[in-house]
Amino acid sequence: MDARLRRVNKEIADCKSDKSSRVTIDLVDDNPFHLIGAFDGPEDTPYEGGRFQVDIVIPDNYPFQPVKMKFITKVYHPNISSASGAICLDILKDAWSPVLTLKSTLISLQSLLCSPEPRDPQDAEVAKHYMTSKSSFEKTARYWTMIYAGGPGEDGAGRPGKDAAKDEIAMAGLDRAHVAQFEALGFDRSKVIDVLRRMNYRGANVANINDDRVVEELLK
Amino acid sequence: MSSDYEISDDENEYYDEEDDEMEVDYDDGSASEIEVDAFGDDFKVAVRSERKLYEVDYTSLSQPEIEKIMQTDVDHISGIFGVEPAVAAQLLRHMNWNKERLIEKYMDNASSVAVAAGVELPPREPTPPPPKASSSRLSSTGPQRTTRRTTAENLKSSPKSKRTTPLVEESKEFVCPICFDDTQTEFMSLICEHKFCASCWKEYITSKVRTEAECKIACMAEDCNIVALDPFVEKALGDDRETWTRYQELLVRQFVSCIPHLKFCPYPSCTHTVSCPSAATKSSLITMVPIVTCGASNTHVFCFGCPIDTDHRPVVCAVAKMWLQKCRDDSETANWIKSNTKECSKCQSTIEKNGGCNHMTCKKCKYEFCWVCMGPWTEHGTSWYSCNRYEEKNSVDARDAQTKSRASLERYLHYYNRWANHEQSAKLSMELYTKTEKKMEEMQVTSELTWIQVQFMKKAVDVVFRCRMTLKWTYAMAYYLASGNEKELFEDNQRDLERAVEELSELIEAPIDPETIMTLRQKVTDKTVYVQKRNEIMLEDTAKGYLEGRWKWNVTVEGFDSA
Ligand SMILES: [Zn+2]
Ligand SMILES: [Zn+2]
Ligand SMILES: [Zn+2]
Ligand SMILES: [Zn+2]
Ligand SMILES: [Zn+2]
Ligand SMILES: [Zn+2]
Repeated sequence: MDARLRRVNKEIADCKSDKSSRVTIDLVDDNPFHLIGAFDGPEDTPYEGGRFQVDIVIPDNYPFQPVKMKFITKVYHPNISSASGAICLDILKDAWSPVLTLKSTLISLQSLLCSPEPRDPQDAEVAKHYMTSKSSFEKTARYWTMIYAGGPGEDGAGRPGKDAAKDEIAMAGLDRAHVAQFEALGFDRSKVIDVLRRMNYRGANVANINDDRVVEELLK
Repeated sequence: MSSDYEISDDENEYYDEEDDEMEVDYDDGSASEIEVDAFGDDFKVAVRSERKLYEVDYTSLSQPEIEKIMQTDVDHISGIFGVEPAVAAQLLRHMNWNKERLIEKYMDNASSVAVAAGVELPPREPTPPPPKASSSRLSSTGPQRTTRRTTAENLKSSPKSKRTTPLVEESKEFVCPICFDDTQTEFMSLICEHKFCASCWKEYITSKVRTEAECKIACMAEDCNIVALDPFVEKALGDDRETWTRYQELLVRQFVSCIPHLKFCPYPSCTHTVSCPSAATKSSLITMVPIVTCGASNTHVFCFGCPIDTDHRPVVCAVAKMWLQKCRDDSETANWIKSNTKECSKCQSTIEKNGGCNHMTCKKCKYEFCWVCMGPWTEHGTSWYSCNRYEEKNSVDARDAQTKSRASLERYLHYYNRWANHEQSAKLSMELYTKTEKKMEEMQVTSELTWIQVQFMKKAVDVVFRCRMTLKWTYAMAYYLASGNEKELFEDNQRDLERAVEELSELIEAPIDPETIMTLRQKVTDKTVYVQKRNEIMLEDTAKGYLEGRWKWNVTVEGFDSA
């Protein structure tokens, strides 16, 4: 039997037999080299209560080359692209070892959610948000967990239905008053949100940004 | 010494015996009307010396020759440290072949160097995790991202003894933690004793070498820093000699990349190296353009000083790089220039360029014009030919930004147009090669000329190609040259070379008539010699200008005094 196939089959079987970690690996279709992994958001983090899905592609010379993984579930995290789900993690690149498994790698992703490293970001805007105000960042990350990963939300009260309208201001991690201030000048709300997010108009950073510069950006 | 520009002795046989390259007598009508300017004297002096001013001194080395140099270092280290050659080699690779630094560090703390190089196990007691090359994020200040990583159970056994030879053993119970294939019976491990089956080792090393072009093979166990030494790699690869050869080539490449005066030939699948100590420092690159050939093939021409793998004389590396970047940035604006068709400015019919010559004649209205500037050709044959010069408009009063940016675009297009045209014409004249060969066959039939005597055509095409390359880069240079006397002299040389090249270009595309073939041969041969001379003057004078610090730029160029 093909060595790669034997190894992947064994990994899937081992993962199935171990229920304690709540890490799952499933086939997308009949192709054993394209899988979907899933794990719970770690406790005591903004990701708690969410369930996160990961797209897994097994390269031709696996396990001698690292497995390719990216988040399917949208995640608000400095080392994960908020747009594409791409992940910045050493073991997915040059620190990969053939003894690592799909399951151990998924557990590494879970631990990545516990310990963001904003100095080596995948998503620069999210990283800036994290550095500017950790509490504001966590609030946004929790909101994303509620919207995309089925998390409980801010007050733990309940999850919005599937069709619940997303609050764009909360999604961008901005202050309502700030958005309203520039909206009042006659700018479109989505434009204001976009510009303020890009400029990291949050927390203590607001004092560093001249209103004229914001308007200048809005006029572009 | 081998250079594209050097005229080797055997090429001289294409000419009559008295056609000595060095002392050409311009006694036929076409040459005497051309004034040999002030640089002529310098040119004559320079050409007599062994190496021309625009050439650089270098040697080319084959892979075995480099391996010999590496082996000398390895033997030296092996001798003074009292370690096996394979260990010495890995220590040197780890220190990027800086032998002095290795000796110094090793004398200071042999163990820490050996551990960092992956040839010795870290001390067992307070075991700090081995430093990870890739991750600044795993520094002591940052949170450890991979703390929850699981480690395969069977890898936890702690190492017992140091061995330098691979461990191969048979086992019934042990299953390889990578392939889980219980039919595997042969296992290998490095001094860390992390055991894996021979087949996994082979695949792993093959993947590293072939897919990643990596010659540092670390142990497959997680966080294990021990490196596979050459005898282990060779044994693990077994009968796959091709991968072993590739591995050795990667080792040579790694060595070459560590030594400033060495550079690996950038041409695909070539394994030659050039040694050029005089161009090894950045500061040397403001006074020379170190164009070299690797020694494996005459066509492997590249710059020692920068990543451009063509001859970019006479422009220094920093300016050539700026120009290429500019062209990339403005590629869309200038794309139309590259097209092979233009409209006749008199009758508007479409004209296609299919030769290298820029003297165009409209098929329909017979209007003769210059392909580059679209001006009438009659103005180009005369002494006031100035197709190459950009007349800086008195644009001082161009106050508004739009006029200014239009003026600067126009200026750029002037140079880019000519740059692109020489490149295109050079390519087209290469296509002429085949045509030329046919022509030469024809000539042998229609005239008394022997094969060797008809070589003048081939030679002429060669010279045209080479000189168009020079011309091409002179436009990059002129774009950045600060206006003034020096630039004007530069453009005089450029104009003289360009005119000569265009004339030769026209000659070699002329139809062959058996009646006049002897005259044509004489004309082409004379013109070829003259064009070569103009090219020499162009290159020689620019090279001299660099040494004298004569060239001033209109922008700040790395290494030069600011503009
Ligand atoms: Zn194996
Ligand atoms: Zn090991
Ligand atoms: Zn070569
Ligand atoms: Zn260069
Ligand atoms: Zn016409
Ligand atoms: Zn012209």
